[in-house]
Amino acid sequence: MFNALRSEQLLVGVGRMLRAAADADGRLEDYERSQVLSAYSVTRLLAAEQAAARELLEWTRAALDRALAGDERAEAQTARDQFVAAVDGTELGDALVELLAALPREDPTRTRVHGVLREMIDRELSALAAPVG
Amino acid sequence: MTGIVPAEIGDAAKADALLETMRAAGSAGQGDVVTYFEQLEGGWSRHSYAARVAHDGEERAYIVRARPSGSLLDTDLGQEFRTYELLSDAPLPTPGVHGYEPAEDTPYDGPFFVMDRLEGHAPNVWRGRDRKKLLENWEGDRQVATDLVEHLATIHLIDGERAAAAATPRTFTETVDRWEGVYDEMRLVNDPVIEEAYAWVRSREPDPVAPCLVHGDYRIGNCLTDDRRITGILDWELSFVGDPRFDLGYMSLDYHAGKFTTPGSALLNATAEHAWFHERYTALTGRPVDPEVVRTFTALGALMLFSILTTGISVYDQGATTDIRMAWGRFALPGLRQDLARLMDW
Repeated sequence: MFNALRSEQLLVGVGRMLRAAADADGRLEDYERSQVLSAYSVTRLLAAEQAAARELLEWTRAALDRALAGDERAEAQTARDQFVAAVDGTELGDALVELLAALPREDPTRTRVHGVLREMIDRELSALAAPVG
Repeated sequence: MTGIVPAEIGDAAKADALLETMRAAGSAGQGDVVTYFEQLEGGWSRHSYAARVAHDGEERAYIVRARPSGSLLDTDLGQEFRTYELLSDAPLPTPGVHGYEPAEDTPYDGPFFVMDRLEGHAPNVWRGRDRKKLLENWEGDRQVATDLVEHLATIHLIDGERAAAAATPRTFTETVDRWEGVYDEMRLVNDPVIEEAYAWVRSREPDPVAPCLVHGDYRIGNCLTDDRRITGILDWELSFVGDPRFDLGYMSLDYHAGKFTTPGSALLNATAEHAWFHERYTALTGRPVDPEVVRTFTALGALMLFSILTTGISVYDQGATTDIRMAWGRFALPGLRQDLARLMDW
C-alpha cells in the first residue's frame, strides 16, 4: 500500500531487461540470469498487486473510518477527510503518518489504527501470494 | 550483456587490474595470468567477480569484491577488507585477502579487493529445495546449525578493543540513528508502520553489554556450505563494533527463515530451533539470551533491511542504476511490515 515506484517505472525496467536478454551473445552470465529472473518476479508480483489494489484501498479506507468513529478531536476529523480524498495507498500513508504524529503515544485510536494496519498488511501479503492469470 | 566465451576473458581491463593489485600485495608474480573471469549473481552494494589465476601453471580461484559508484549503500570497502585481515588468525572459515585498491577510478568503477574463493554454495532460504536441505541437516547431525552458532560465538568473543582496528564502534542509539537517517534520506513515500516501529525500538533500548565484533548481516545466506558443514562466512560490509545481540535479533527475522509473501521455515534462519540456538550460544559465550532484547534487535534488523531496500528503490527511481533487483526490493517491504507489526504486538 505504501509502495514507492509506479507500475510504469517497473514495466519500463522489465522491458529493458527483456531487450538486454534478447541482445545477449551466448550463455548469460550468472549476474545477467539473476536480472532476468528478477524481472520475471516483478511482473508476477506487480500483476497480483494490481489485481487487488482497488479492493485493498477500499477495505483500508472503510476500516480506518470505523477505527476513528466517535473520535471528535480535530486531528481525527482531518484524517477522516484525508482518507476519503486519498486516491491511492501513498496518499493514505501520508494521512496516517500525520494522524499518528498528532496522537499521544498511549491512545485508543492509535491502538485501533495499529489493528487496521496489521490486517491491511496481512491482506496485502495474501494478495501478493495469490496467483494471477 | 556480453555472455561468456570459454577460455577467453570478457573484460581484460578488470582482469589486468586484479593481477596488478595481487602483484602489489605479493600474491601474484609477473608471469601469472588470469584464465577465467565472470561477474557473479548477488551483491546489493558490492559487485562480485569470480576469477582464476594461473601461478606458474597452478590455477587458484579468487573473488573480486568491488564497490561501484552509485552502489546501494555507502559502506566502506576498506573496512570490509580490514575485517577480513583481522579475522585471518581467528578460527573461522573466512577467505584470505590478496590486496586492496582504494581508488575510485578503476575498471570496476570504484575500489575493490581480492580474496580467496572458498568452496561451497550460499543457501537461499527463499528456495524450497534449499530450506529442505537445511531442515534435513537439522533433523540429522545438526552440523550446519552447530557451525552457525559456534562461529557466531567466535565472532562475538573478539572484543571491542581488538575489533575497533577494523570496524566502526556504534552504540544502540547510533545504530538506530544510522538506519533511520538512511530511511529518511531515501524514502520516496511516507510509511506509518516504519515511523511507528522506530519509535517502538527507541522506547526499548536495552541495558548495554560489553561491545564486540558484530557481523551485522549474519545469516545462513551469507555463509557457504557443502550441505553438511559451513565452509565460509562472507559479506562483512555491515560489520561494526557494538552489541552482539544485534546479530541474534537480525537472524531471527521471519524474512531470514524464507518468508516472502508466504511463510518460510519454522526454524531460526531455516537452520535451527530458536531455543536450541540460544541455549548453545549462551553455553559458548556465557552470555544469557533475553528474548525481549532479541525481539527489539529483530525489529531493528527489519528496519535496517527496510532502509537498505528503500535505498535501492530510491537509486533505481533516480535512474542511477538499471539493476532490476533494486526495483524488485519494493515487493519485499510488505513482508517486513508484517514482521514489524507482529513484533510490536499490533
